[in-house]
Formats: sequence, C-alpha cells, structure tokens
Amino acid sequence: MKSPLSLEPLFHVGPAGITEPVVVSWAVIALLGLGSTLATRRLSVIPSKGQTLLELVVSTVDSQIRETMQADPAPFRALIGSIFLFTLVSNWSSLIPGIEPATAHIETDAAMALIVFVATIAWGVRTRGLRGYLATYAEPTWVMIPLNIVEQFTRTFSLIVRLFGNVMSGVFIIGIILTLAGLLVPIPLMALDLLTGAVQAYIFAVLATVFIGAAVGERHKPVAPSEKEP
Amino acid sequence: MRIDWWTLGLQTINVLILVAILARFLFRPVIAIMDERRAAAAKMLGDAEAERAKAIAAREAAEAESGKIAASRDAVLREAAEAASAEREAALATAREEADQVRASAETEMRWARAAEESAASDRSARLAIDVARKLVARLPDSARVDGFIDGLARALASLPEASRDGFGAGERARLIAPRPLTAAELQAAHDAFARALGRPVDFAVVVEPAVIAGLEIETPHAVVRNSFRQDLKRIVEELTRHDGVHR
Repeated sequence: MKSPLSLEPLFHVGPAGITEPVVVSWAVIALLGLGSTLATRRLSVIPSKGQTLLELVVSTVDSQIRETMQADPAPFRALIGSIFLFTLVSNWSSLIPGIEPATAHIETDAAMALIVFVATIAWGVRTRGLRGYLATYAEPTWVMIPLNIVEQFTRTFSLIVRLFGNVMSGVFIIGIILTLAGLLVPIPLMALDLLTGAVQAYIFAVLATVFIGAAVGERHKPVAPSEKEP
Repeated sequence: MRIDWWTLGLQTINVLILVAILARFLFRPVIAIMDERRAAAAKMLGDAEAERAKAIAAREAAEAESGKIAASRDAVLREAAEAASAEREAALATAREEADQVRASAETEMRWARAAEESAASDRSARLAIDVARKLVARLPDSARVDGFIDGLARALASLPEASRDGFGAGERARLIAPRPLTAAELQAAHDAFARALGRPVDFAVVVEPAVIAGLEIETPHAVVRNSFRQDLKRIVEELTRHDGVHR
C-alpha cells in the first residue's frame, strides 16, 4: 500500500521530479501573483472596497510585525507577509476537490522553515554583527550555549512539524470521513479546516516573526512616540 | 516517510519567488499608496493648519481693525461730544450774551422810557407849575407885574461886565419887553434906574408881550438882560429838563 505521505513525481524536468505540492505551489504563486498584480493595478489615494481589504491585510501584517518585534516592519514585511499568505492560501486550497494542500507535505513546510531559519541567522548577523549574533547563544550564560544551539534547530523543527501535522491531519481526517460517510458529511470538518488553516498560517508567521525578532534583538527597536525627545 | 529533496528545494525556490513577487506586486504598491495617502493627509493637515493659522491671523487682524475702528469711533464720538459741548457752551454763552444784551437793552429802554416818562412828568409838572404861577401872577395887580422888577433889571444891567455894560444900547435902540404897556411913571422909573445902572441914559422902545407874565426884559442886537417870570420859569423848566438829562 502506498503511503499517503510519500510523493510521486507527476513529471520530470531534467533530473528534477515535479511533485504535486510543487505544482500546487506554482498555482498558489500564480494566483497570488496575478491577484496582486490585478488588485494593485489601479490603486488610488481614495481606496475602493477591494483596495481597502488589501490595505487592511498589509496593515495587519505590519502591525503584527511591529507589535511582535517592536521594530520597523518594512524590512520583514515581504518575507513574513508572503509566508503568511502562502500558508493561508495553501491551507485553504484543500477546499478545492482533488487538491491536496502543499503545506500538507513536509517538504513545503520545511522549505518555509528553512527560509525562516536562514533569514533569522542572516538578519541576526546583519544587525548584531557575527560576534554579536554568536554572543546571543551565550545568553544568559555560556552554559546555555549548547541548549541555545539545540533550541535553534528544535524550534525550526517544531515550526515544520506543527504546520505539517495540523494540515496533514486535517486532510487525512477529511479523506477518511469522505471514504466512510456521505458527500456532505465532511463539510463541518472542512469549515473547521478553514479555521485551522488560518490559525496555523497565523501561528507560523508569528513564530517566524518572533524568531527573527529575537535574532535582531533591540537594535531595530523603533522609538515610541512617548519616548521621543521633547 | 521520506523527504523528497527535489521538492524541498523547489518549494524553497517557489517560496523565495513568491516573496519576490509579492514584495514587488503587492506590498510595495500598497505601501506606496498608503504612504502617498499619509503624505496627502499630512499635507492636507498642514494646509489646513496653515489655513487655520491664516484664518486666525485674519481674525486677529479683523479684531485689531475692529478695535481700531471702535477706538476711532470712540475718538470721533468723543470729539463730536466735545465739539457739541463746546458749541453748546458757545451757543449758551452767545445766547446768554444776547440775552444780557437784550436785557440790558430792555433795561436801557425801560430806563429811557422811565426817564422819558419822568421827564414828561417833570415837563407836565413844570408846565403845571408855570400855569399855576401864571394864574397866580395874573391875580396880582398890574402894577405889581412891573414895579418890583425895574430895580432888579437895573441891578442886572449893573452887574454886566464893563465892556458889555459900556456897549449896551450905545449904537442902536434897545427894546424893553413888558407884560403890559408901561405907565409914564413906570417909563420914567425905568429910564432913571437904567441910567443909574449904566451911568448914562438908555434909549429904548417898549414892546408888550403878555408871555413875559411879570417883570421886564431889555435886549439889544448884541445883549439881552431879563428879569421876568417868563425867564425865571424858563430857567426852572430848563433846570428841571437838565436835571432829567443827567438822570438819563
């Protein structure tokens, strides 16, 4: 019996086997890219309803980054916002019959976690310098260095597994129920899947923000209006 | 379970591409328009603040102008009040002066009228006295109307200045005015008395004038000597009239 977790290439491009999550991701990328292009084609100072929704999304991403990192969200907006939107759309793609979310496969979650991992280190080194960043591993004491190093990998692993487990389990449960019950029975579970998918996307994005924010430290901390010089 | 590394790598690339696409086509334009709106709002707020400042300045200027106008109005009103007061005072002074003049004029008129009335009364009194005197003298005997006056007239001639006395009746004939025709005795008495007074005889003609009342008057073209009631009454009347004139 074939494992539901195993991936079989749909086709090959050279040596690379193109699997379903990759194709779904391309579709998601195409959808988001095309949608963004269309949505931002006629932006105006006086916003339409669609533009207002778009600005609400961007503003929410910004405010989440600002509140979590206590820093200017501009450098991190694209990464965090893109991860959130990609995860959300991928999670919700399970609603389309026959489509299995890309995030239900660990390779996709690992890819995003890998990017977050690299981004954390890169921004940490960029902000603190190499010595400064490495010094964070010795906080609060040098005894913590092994634990901090382990934590660096385990938290990334937990990031992967949390998203993968939640989405994959939702897909499995709906699949099992579909095989056992009628056509309309899984609908409440699919609705619950929508909520789960949104929550998991939010958690993944927020945790990525927290990790990057911890690496960046307080150097990016913006000056609050109340702390400004009179 | 196994990891498909190709999928992992492709998904990593996919996510990075998505980040680039969304950064380029979603976040950048949306943030740009939001910034543009924020800038426009800030500009509008700035413009509004500038307009407000202008409005405040205009209002303050208007208030200042209003204050100036009020001050000017007060000054004009004060000046007008002062001018009106001065004009009123001047008018009052003029009116008072005119009233004083009118009163003085009226008083003068009244004085004149009273004086004229008093003069008229005096004249009437004098004439009445003359009439009384004339009527009383008329009751005297005719001799009394001449006799007693010859010596008096002679004394008057004697009291003339020497030059007048020497020339009196020297070149021309004198006229002796009497209230009635003189008797021969009276004519003789007159010649004698006049000759004694002047130291030489005097030629005269007798002229009767009842208006003399009593007494005699002798006159030449150059001199007149009177000793008569007419003269006395005339002097009294003149004295009374002169006295009234002093009162005026």
